[in-house]
Amino acid sequence: MNIETNHHIESPKEKQNRHKAMEAIKLLNTLREDFKAPIESMEYFYDLFERVHCKHESLHDDKTKIGTMCIQIPSEIIYALDGIPIRLCNGFYTDDEIGSDFMPQKACPLIKATVGHFASGNFSDKPDIVFSPTTCDQKTKAGSTIESFGYKFIDVDFPRTKESEASREYWRRSVKQFALELSKFQGKKLTKNNLKDTIKKIGYAQSLYNKLSDFRKNEIVPILGLDVFLITNAFFFDKIDNWIEATQKLINELEIRAKEKISVTGKSSPRIIYTGSPPIFPNYKIPQIIEESDGIIVADETCSSNRMFNDMVAVDEWNIYDMMDSISDKYLKACTCPIFTKNEDRIRRVVQLVKEYKADGVIYQAFAGCTVYEMEQRSVLEAMEKEGIPILYLESDYSPSQGGQLSTRVEAFIESLKTRRRNKK
Amino acid sequence: MKYFAGIDIGSTAIKISIVDENKNLMGFKISASGSMFYKYAQETLDALISELKLNNSDIAYIVATGYGRKLYKEADENISEITANATGARAAASEFGEIKTIINIGGQDSKAISLDSDGNVINFAMNDRCAAGTGKFLDVVALKLELEVDTLGEYHFKTQGTPLSVSSTCAVFAESEIIGLLGNNHSVADIVCGVHYSIAKRIVKLVKRVGVKEGIYFDGGPALNAGLVNAIENEIGQKIFVPQNPQITTSFGAAIIGVDSYNYENN
Repeated sequence: MNIETNHHIESPKEKQNRHKAMEAIKLLNTLREDFKAPIESMEYFYDLFERVHCKHESLHDDKTKIGTMCIQIPSEIIYALDGIPIRLCNGFYTDDEIGSDFMPQKACPLIKATVGHFASGNFSDKPDIVFSPTTCDQKTKAGSTIESFGYKFIDVDFPRTKESEASREYWRRSVKQFALELSKFQGKKLTKNNLKDTIKKIGYAQSLYNKLSDFRKNEIVPILGLDVFLITNAFFFDKIDNWIEATQKLINELEIRAKEKISVTGKSSPRIIYTGSPPIFPNYKIPQIIEESDGIIVADETCSSNRMFNDMVAVDEWNIYDMMDSISDKYLKACTCPIFTKNEDRIRRVVQLVKEYKADGVIYQAFAGCTVYEMEQRSVLEAMEKEGIPILYLESDYSPSQGGQLSTRVEAFIESLKTRRRNKK
Repeated sequence: MKYFAGIDIGSTAIKISIVDENKNLMGFKISASGSMFYKYAQETLDALISELKLNNSDIAYIVATGYGRKLYKEADENISEITANATGARAAASEFGEIKTIINIGGQDSKAISLDSDGNVINFAMNDRCAAGTGKFLDVVALKLELEVDTLGEYHFKTQGTPLSVSSTCAVFAESEIIGLLGNNHSVADIVCGVHYSIAKRIVKLVKRVGVKEGIYFDGGPALNAGLVNAIENEIGQKIFVPQNPQITTSFGAAIIGVDSYNYENN
């Protein structure tokens, strides 16, 4: 005596796909529907994420996919060797839960999610080889776990200091070694012309990002910080030419919006600089709370956004050696990751952003388990205090709950910024 | 022939089963609990007895179970719904095979019960005192979507896109989340499907606390909802067994326990 319930039962892969699709669509619907004055050209990006994460479409079928684990692996070299760089830093809670079986309980959710993604082997664009710079402890150690799942995984030695000439030399050697390995893997030679072309192409993408950022300096802000995070996250995996075209189109629309003084915020919305652990799709928890609480993120200092685009490769002579060295320097010298022994650069960058973007305050988020960001909050908070810049420090993770407590704190901070601005006048 | 009654007084419904000496189910009746548990339980029992063409004196032993069990003073014995559920499930699923785990979703609670090979309860987990992941939650959703609660299952399978997750754990907050989704013109099917998955995830967490094993039995009113059954199957990754009348498992179990208690007391 039983009711016939003969429905198909999902395989683990189908289940993971559904979970991720549900996470993704929730955020995409929020972005599409919940904010005022939506930007038409953003639909390209919403649709891109929906295709990849809800419909699980592959973007790069025919190409060799080169997985990267941090921003320090130079995309210029990957493109020059005819590969597609795919940054695998992951923001899905679904994968975080899968990764928990392989990582200590208190580990960083980003790394747990990344490991979980590899463990499942379920990629819309599966990497053929993975290069991982030895940045923070957890990422470095996660490499051997990922390798044990059967991936071709290569460590790229990254120094923990950037002050000395020795560290510079060390990293330049690592980058050369990386280029050599990849060249062997691809069976292709790195040529002067190819490298020059790709430096220029990525430089062009960076210049578009800078143009986009300029609009956020305006008193009337025409684009949400959330949308910008989505655009920069798309750079992780999108076809670069499509990304350039879509961003160009978006900039054209922003120009019109700027002229027509179309704003995505209220009149007194405090301007926020976002720093700390990177928002990676779909974990936009804190940015979403900020912008739903009438704050507007005008700039950020994170490795999933500003840090990817901020500094260009500066080449003196377009010969291969000079190009290689310039590329290496960009990824070391300009980097403000908290893994470095000293990191005055990061503080300088945040202060500079506050001034340039006329921000009212800074929100610093660290993932619970990301020790370096947790540690560095002390020096950043002190420095901001010295500069008289209000700052709020938050810890969060990938779990879908916890929203209530965090939003109360963010709301109170934003209200205090509003009061502060009023009293100034 | 002697007969035995099991009365399960739940927050939403009163379920009564009558078995004979050989523990065969003779009949059952379900009615709403309403505001007067005792009165309605008595009326339902009387109605069932007359439906089966029996007399009150034919009922040798009554076992009460469920939240309202202590209100039914005429019972010869009262036992917790966990024990009754375990006994009922094993009897109801005798042809299906051995039951190792029971998922029960009631009107105001949900639980996972783990059994040993003799059918004894070895562990169980219940939800916190909150309507999240219970039948009440489905009622609230159905009311908001202007659907009958028993049609939710059909809507589940009509979903075209991605199920829309409802992340609030609280039934009251979830309701406002659903209002938001409706306000943005999302399909009812996608919402219903998302609601089922959010309940399913919650219940699977409970099951994991007692250990996931083969042989899962699902009962309680919400087990009539094929969409929810499918959602739980997907979340847990295996087929689950749903009895013909999932609502009466616990009262059936109580009646069976009545047979054993009666025999024990009178021999």
